[in-house]
Amino acid sequence: MALTFASIDQTVLDTLKPGGKNYWAMILLVFLGLMGGVACWAYQIFVGIGVAGMNNPIHWGTYLINFVFWVGIAHSGTLISAILHLFRAGWRNPIARAAETMTVFAVCTAGLFPFIHLGRVWMVYYMLPFPNQRTLWPNFQSPLMFDVVAISTYLTVSSLFWYTGMLPDLAIIRDRATGLRKKIFTVLAMGWTGEHEVWRHYIRIYLFFAALATPLVISVHSVVSWDFALGIAPGWHTTIFAPYFVAGAIHSGLAMVLTLMIPLRKIFHYEKIITVKVLEAVAKTIIFTGLIVGYAYATEFFIAWYSHNEVEISVFKWRAVGNYRVGFWIMVTCNTIAPLLFFIKKVRTSLVWLFGISILVNIGMWFERFVIIITSVGHDFIPHAWGLYAPTVIEFGIMIGAFCLFFLLYLLFVKHLPSVSMTEMKETLEEGGGHGG
Amino acid sequence: MADKQYVMGLFRDEHQAVSAVESLTDSPFKIEKVHSPIPSHRLSHALKLKKSRVGWYTLVGGIIGFFSGFALASFTALRWELIVGGKPVVALVPFLIVGFEFTVLFAVFGNIIGFLFQADLPRFDWSTHYDERLSGDQYGILATCDPAQQEDLEDLLTEQGAEVRAFAS
Repeated sequence: MALTFASIDQTVLDTLKPGGKNYWAMILLVFLGLMGGVACWAYQIFVGIGVAGMNNPIHWGTYLINFVFWVGIAHSGTLISAILHLFRAGWRNPIARAAETMTVFAVCTAGLFPFIHLGRVWMVYYMLPFPNQRTLWPNFQSPLMFDVVAISTYLTVSSLFWYTGMLPDLAIIRDRATGLRKKIFTVLAMGWTGEHEVWRHYIRIYLFFAALATPLVISVHSVVSWDFALGIAPGWHTTIFAPYFVAGAIHSGLAMVLTLMIPLRKIFHYEKIITVKVLEAVAKTIIFTGLIVGYAYATEFFIAWYSHNEVEISVFKWRAVGNYRVGFWIMVTCNTIAPLLFFIKKVRTSLVWLFGISILVNIGMWFERFVIIITSVGHDFIPHAWGLYAPTVIEFGIMIGAFCLFFLLYLLFVKHLPSVSMTEMKETLEEGGGHGG
Repeated sequence: MADKQYVMGLFRDEHQAVSAVESLTDSPFKIEKVHSPIPSHRLSHALKLKKSRVGWYTLVGGIIGFFSGFALASFTALRWELIVGGKPVVALVPFLIVGFEFTVLFAVFGNIIGFLFQADLPRFDWSTHYDERLSGDQYGILATCDPAQQEDLEDLLTEQGAEVRAFAS
């Protein structure tokens, strides 16, 4: 049966019915994981940052690896909701809401790590533009301060974009809800009635949101890359870092979109909305980003060789054959070779393959950040200062806690708010309509 | 007795709604509001709606944001005038980055403020003259007429394929 406006509403509204035992069991599981992470962080606050495996010379460990990983995950949500909107790519509509939500929760998760990495978390106000007791202000020439500004802007903008995009859907829920739920959604929908006087302004602000979010998302991961590239460590101090990080971020985020969408589609019976064609389009984009990432890996090695800089050459050799070679080859295999399988139509239209490769890319992208961060500071200019690093149980606990936080927020979202934009799905059925402005 | 009567025509089809808007425009009746579950270019065209001016708010927000970001970075640097990394105290390149992020942030604030202001949101009287099917799959045209002409207005809407609903006031 073909999709209609009513069937789209019904399919999405059915997902908001109270969850069963399995749902609450999942919530409990991830909540316990989150509490484990909170306990590890509390232990670190009481005992000191020494409980983590960071040492001299490796002062940046899994906390910053996870920070970059989660910021990266966030990026494809904005790619799908904003950049593909500007390109009028219709296949984005069924997954735009779920991807935008992923962005918001991933930035929330990422934003925790600089706090955790600080050790003395109560000193966080030093990063705010607020004079401390010696009337010292933050140094805005530092890439770390660019990061504070960029990430907080990104969180604010993506949250507002997400909420604004949801207004028409909140009104749909309001109009079908009863009791307390109706009252809550009445407040959330802000009196939306779908009046044309309102749509007239709405389609414009949606377009401006997309137009502003596009350069923002590119700037955010460029700024994250400058946390490294503006340092003089070998392997970090290169001009390729900004585009390389942006492509990597979108690569990892698209993989996470597949990881989330495939179970969501199955559990909520979204087969007619999130069709295999949509997933296939994501897979094709992953081929593209995977090729860019592979090209960046090759360029780094080429430039190191071509520069005749012994330190640079030494770092890159060590990455490939040194103590962390397993991480390096996981990174190369999962990020650049595995996605090539999507060239085969049977692979990119099989849910099992799509899910499996998306997990591999997630793992590969985590290892990419591990390789970039650890191997450069661990193999610096002076051989006697070289060192190794291994995360401790506390760091693993916090990392698992962060994953649980993300999935807890996501699980709560899919049962309480519309995980597919009903309005944008209806637009795909109507040729004359659209947020297109 | 009320001096005007509110009548709403509910349509399942966008084309019918467009045709009804065109008929009403040529009639003595007044179109008060047109609702639709999705934005419709055809309806906007039939209603001869002008392009929204909300972009000016976005632009002003962005300009304020750029200068605020740059000014914040410059002000904080000038408090102690310390040379950092061999760069000037007011360093253009790094401060432009701060200015850029603030541009986007404030442009979005301008966007939101402009939208709320122009679209008159939030609304507390939204449920007056509203039908809950409008957010689902129905297009609605709310028109007014002299109470004596209610039947004529209802006939016009019915002829266009509408389900008619009259409001008490």
